[in-house]
Amino acid sequence: MEETLVVQDVRKTIGKKEIIKGLSFSLKKGEVFGFLGPNGAGKTTTIRMLVGLIRPTSGTISICGYDLQKQFTKAIQHIGCIVENPELYPYLSGWENLEHFARMVPEITAHRIQEVVELVGLQNRIHDLVRTYSLGMRQRLGIAQALLGKPTVLILDEPTNGLDPVGIREMRQFIRSLAEKEQLSVLVSSHLLSEIQLMCDRVAIMSKGQIIRIDTVEHLLQEQARTYWSVDPVDKAKQILQNETTVLGEKDGALVTMYESNETIARCNARLIEAGIYVSGIERKLPTLEDLFIELTGGETID
Amino acid sequence: MSKRIIGMIVTICAATTVLWTIGLIVTIQDQFFYEASSIKQPKQTTGNTKKNDALSIVALGDSLTRGTGDETGKGYVGYVVDELKKQTNQHVQFTNLAIKGQRSAQLISQLKQKEVQRQLKEADIILMTIGGNDLFRGGEALRDLSTTQLEKEKEKFVQQLRTIFQLVRTVNNDAPVFYIALYNPFNDLDNGKETSAVVRSWNYAASEVAADYKSIICVPTYDLFELQVNDYLYTDKFHPNKEGYKRIGERVASLITLTKGEK
Amino acid sequence: MINLVYNEMLKIVRKKRLFIIAAIVAVLVSLFTYAQFKQIETIRERIGTTDWRTQLQQQIIDTQNRLNSTGISEEWKKFLKIRLQQQQYYLDNDINPMAPGAPTFMRMFIENSIELFLPLLVMVIAADLVSSEASGGTIKLLLTRPVKRWKVLMSKYIAMILSTSFIVFSVALLSYAISGIVFGYGGWNLPLLTGFSIQGEELNTTAVHLIPQWKYLLIEFGLAFFVSLVVGTLTFMLSVLIRSTAAVMGIMLAALISGAILSSMVSSWESAKYLFMVNLRLTSYISGMAPPIDGMTLSFSMTVLAIWALGALIVSFYVFTKRDVY
Repeated sequence: MEETLVVQDVRKTIGKKEIIKGLSFSLKKGEVFGFLGPNGAGKTTTIRMLVGLIRPTSGTISICGYDLQKQFTKAIQHIGCIVENPELYPYLSGWENLEHFARMVPEITAHRIQEVVELVGLQNRIHDLVRTYSLGMRQRLGIAQALLGKPTVLILDEPTNGLDPVGIREMRQFIRSLAEKEQLSVLVSSHLLSEIQLMCDRVAIMSKGQIIRIDTVEHLLQEQARTYWSVDPVDKAKQILQNETTVLGEKDGALVTMYESNETIARCNARLIEAGIYVSGIERKLPTLEDLFIELTGGETID
Repeated sequence: MSKRIIGMIVTICAATTVLWTIGLIVTIQDQFFYEASSIKQPKQTTGNTKKNDALSIVALGDSLTRGTGDETGKGYVGYVVDELKKQTNQHVQFTNLAIKGQRSAQLISQLKQKEVQRQLKEADIILMTIGGNDLFRGGEALRDLSTTQLEKEKEKFVQQLRTIFQLVRTVNNDAPVFYIALYNPFNDLDNGKETSAVVRSWNYAASEVAADYKSIICVPTYDLFELQVNDYLYTDKFHPNKEGYKRIGERVASLITLTKGEK
Repeated sequence: MINLVYNEMLKIVRKKRLFIIAAIVAVLVSLFTYAQFKQIETIRERIGTTDWRTQLQQQIIDTQNRLNSTGISEEWKKFLKIRLQQQQYYLDNDINPMAPGAPTFMRMFIENSIELFLPLLVMVIAADLVSSEASGGTIKLLLTRPVKRWKVLMSKYIAMILSTSFIVFSVALLSYAISGIVFGYGGWNLPLLTGFSIQGEELNTTAVHLIPQWKYLLIEFGLAFFVSLVVGTLTFMLSVLIRSTAAVMGIMLAALISGAILSSMVSSWESAKYLFMVNLRLTSYISGMAPPIDGMTLSFSMTVLAIWALGALIVSFYVFTKRDVY
């Protein structure tokens, strides 16, 4: 698969402190790449380096074969982005905002602006002042401006921030469709694992300026998701479950096993009931980001 | 619509930028590369001699004519003008050219100025005080009275006063000139007698000079301040106060006879 | 580049800054017109004539009397002396420097606003050109376009120049239009003297020459534009360096006001003449007023201002193109 964004050993030192300690990863065409990490992990700094707002101390970033440092305009032309909040000019209308940014990129026609407006579904309010927009509308307008220049790589920092549940779902579907239909590489950062899980093909987990792991979502989840069995008596249940799967331990009076498929859980449940064990609840839990971190970093604190 | 407005503003901006840049270029050319040639006199706008209907009063001299010491700022000239306004229905035009601390020599150079001459020429009445500063020099000279010294000063003053009257008369031959003579502010001091004698002798000399010219009237003020001098002096014990000025003003006004526009 | 400048102008216009400024100018000009009108009336009443020669002579006498008063500072004395000589020169040459009319009012207005009022207006525009993008976060969108950073900044700088000339223009237009209602619109060809130079306490008139008022105005507005540009450039630099528009305005305001105060008291601190704030009264050199510090001339002041502006420009561009945006 074709690689659109390649990051090689990027570092950033501010003063004497190394904020980003050597990142390397790459994005493929048509994939959604998640960027996970707590606040202060270096996500935003990394994203700002990817879009040329911050100069890396060392390392290279290349977009569609152009080096971001040496061929800035050519490289940045292939990137569409929202960094942090979609901050637009509140005293201009949505349309004027888009026109404003269109003037900064060669060869964007009014037709193209209309196209992106329809794509994000803002037709009805596009001529209103941005001041009157809700956060969700601003978020969509932000995406519209990111898409204006027909980018190959779309970088979205916390795209679902401040959206209501319906908005979050729409955004998710929208991002997926961009990757699948338009073959864009999308880089999404978030601190919510559930969001990343539903949206992304691959995930990079950052902590303290380093990528701890890059993997597909399934892999990570399989490793880290758990099933909780609220059963009585516990000892007897444990024996039965151990035959079927691995029991990892006990938490708050419930047995913890690996994240299992539906069939396995149904089978286990049947066994438990056969043995006369009282099953009051079976719960499958995705690990929280915190859990994942504690798991991955061996309990080191996030600072 | 908005686009057209912005387009218009941008055009105005661009045009004015050009205009101001031209202004800067003109500045540089005019201020830095100006070749000093003699300034060509602008055509004298005539009409200087427009003798209008107004009654024109010009006051010359020193701080007394300025009115120093009168808290209302009028001075004796103010009272004279007030008095005249009551007497006539003519428009009264008043110019005070007096300068504080002016001595007779300085008045001579002032009288040589073109504009001062023009105004004098138009004047119907001229009021004047001079000599106080020549004599008193701010009140210090009289402490060491040396007769010969004062005699010399007097001679000089008489000379200059003559020049002044001469100048005034050449410019304006008709207007009556009221020369307000000196008073003695140090009347009630220990050496009051001696100082009074000096003031009297100066006044006498001045009136002698005035007598040589047509309608130059020497107005005595000496007597006005002879009794209770301090009641009529300002806190500096030198200039008259409001009351003092009023008295001078009344005396001068009583001397002026108006011929035209009398009520 | 034209597109970029258009963008910047669009933002300035849509923020309604220019209109607010024009409104402020209109209000102030009306006030000044009324004040001027009142003043003329009072003088007329006091002297009882409309003859300007008599009025000017009276002013000269008044000045002489003030010079003889005790307790006025040496600087003020010097200033009065020079003004006195100048007034006398006008009188001797039979030229009325204050012939009523809208152009005369314009001249008076620009001479009085060049030091503080005009720079303040320019500051309002220039202060938030960059800092508002930084504090509003939109700078991130601007800098992630396929446009080099220096071009982005250059477009903003050009927009600053354009709006500055718009402000100067609105001052010119409004002061002409409004004061004309009272004083009449004529007087463009009134001859005026310029080229005075000051040596110590004396007024040197060797280079004095006559120019018509329109040319005089062109020169003064050109200089006003130059001063505004310099102040604008300095504000622009601060706007690049500081995120908060309020802080930018605060610093500039402090500098400008301190300049106005310093000009009246620095005559003994000679090196203060290298500060930009005391060099803003360029029109004084044209009309022949005493400079705040001995040895200051038009070319000196313009050079000092140009150097400050150039420095500010270099700093702005260096910082803006190199800086990491957080």
